[in-house]
Amino acid sequence: MTAEPTNFLYPFIDSEERDSESLLVDLAASARAKMAQSRRLQLATLKEWEPVIAALGADMASRFAAGGRLYTFGNGGSATDAEMTAQMFRHPIGGRPLPAWPLVDDRAVLTALANDVGFELVFSRQLIAHARSGDMAMGLSTSGNSENVMKAFAEAKHRGLLTIGLAGYAGGAMANNDTVDFCLVVHSDSVHRIQESQDALVFELWSVVQRNLMAQSTPNGREGSFQ
Amino acid sequence: MVPNPVVSAERELPIDFSALESVSDNLAAAALALARRFAAGATMWCVSPSWPAHGRHVAVEFVHPVIMGKRALPAIFVDDDDLLASLRLLARPGDIVVALGPASDETIASLLRRTDAWGLTSVCIGAGPHPPTSSADHLLWVDGVDSDIAGSSGGYVLLYHLLWELVHVVFEHPGLLAEPAACTDEVCITCSDEGRVVEVVSVLEDDTAVVLAGGKAETIDTTLVGRPGPGDLLLVHAGTAISSLEGRV
Repeated sequence: MTAEPTNFLYPFIDSEERDSESLLVDLAASARAKMAQSRRLQLATLKEWEPVIAALGADMASRFAAGGRLYTFGNGGSATDAEMTAQMFRHPIGGRPLPAWPLVDDRAVLTALANDVGFELVFSRQLIAHARSGDMAMGLSTSGNSENVMKAFAEAKHRGLLTIGLAGYAGGAMANNDTVDFCLVVHSDSVHRIQESQDALVFELWSVVQRNLMAQSTPNGREGSFQ
Repeated sequence: MVPNPVVSAERELPIDFSALESVSDNLAAAALALARRFAAGATMWCVSPSWPAHGRHVAVEFVHPVIMGKRALPAIFVDDDDLLASLRLLARPGDIVVALGPASDETIASLLRRTDAWGLTSVCIGAGPHPPTSSADHLLWVDGVDSDIAGSSGGYVLLYHLLWELVHVVFEHPGLLAEPAACTDEVCITCSDEGRVVEVVSVLEDDTAVVLAGGKAETIDTTLVGRPGPGDLLLVHAGTAISSLEGRV
């Protein structure tokens, strides 16, 4: 599907191309190949982090049970994943609704902070205003290097929050960082494939949190059945 | 009842990937159509009432590509209490609508019933119980997967990531970006054989109404359908409304 290396010899070829049928076949094959790639990466990622998610999910469940809140943040597509994560915890498909809020939601707050103090502080300043020890901070960054996410982790750690980082590539600044209690790295160099596996990790984490909360709940608890 | 942990050695993912794979051909066709529309100057309008995060994610993919050097494309997420009224104003004929959500989403269903009248190309991304196949020009539908699971565990994300990736592959084939010649004859056997869905703009005194048909204003005869109101959808054959499809909005 990529241009043939000899195309420069025949500059008219591409612009003369008229048969879309073979392109459609290539596109569909490419879609299937990328889906298979995404699936393999998701399975490998979940397998790699299974023990970490078990420990993290138990920790988060205890904090939720004690009244803790989860704050989520990230930039661009990761901002929308942060928003989706908070929505998933707050309005779950089963189990107990849990207090989770994305720090990417309020355009007044984001633009005020970006304009007045700098974009690298848009999340940390919100944590200064909102967070208490016992809360949780989850940051998503495919590079693992987003400055505002790293500054938010430092602030969160300082305030006694549990910090959870989702990264890609080799983890970037998030990996082996004292301010990140749990760092889950998706080992890929494709931003899209990283995000898809991060979504799988978050879904898995959410279900482990729910499982822990159900195990803690009393037999006549209000949580009801899962799904 | 304690839910099972999702991961174990043999465990599959929450999404059935064979169901995703069955969308591949439609993804390819959608990518070709969208690249052609973008090349002709279209804006892509993204809507997702039940998952606003996904609507925003689709828009940011196209506006700010993750791969350096890929062109920024005009995509806008619309989040509005009156989505139909806003899109009726904002979208120009030739634009694209990408709607993401379950078949039960009434706003999406109502929007997709109007895209032909407004002259828009429609893409619908969803999962779960299947909508009518005629609901969108390009239906990227994951059968047999719960919409909430697809929404929260990465299924939808994978689909629109691939849609973006494939659109940019099509851009590498400039010869295929021209739209195939459309029927423009005044009298066209193919077109005149079937009714078209139009939306009423204004009602005139003499049993006629001004309607939008394929993004263009036309005056039609409404004698057979009583007195419609602005926003009503009518089925029109040879300049005459033959039935009313949906109440006004």
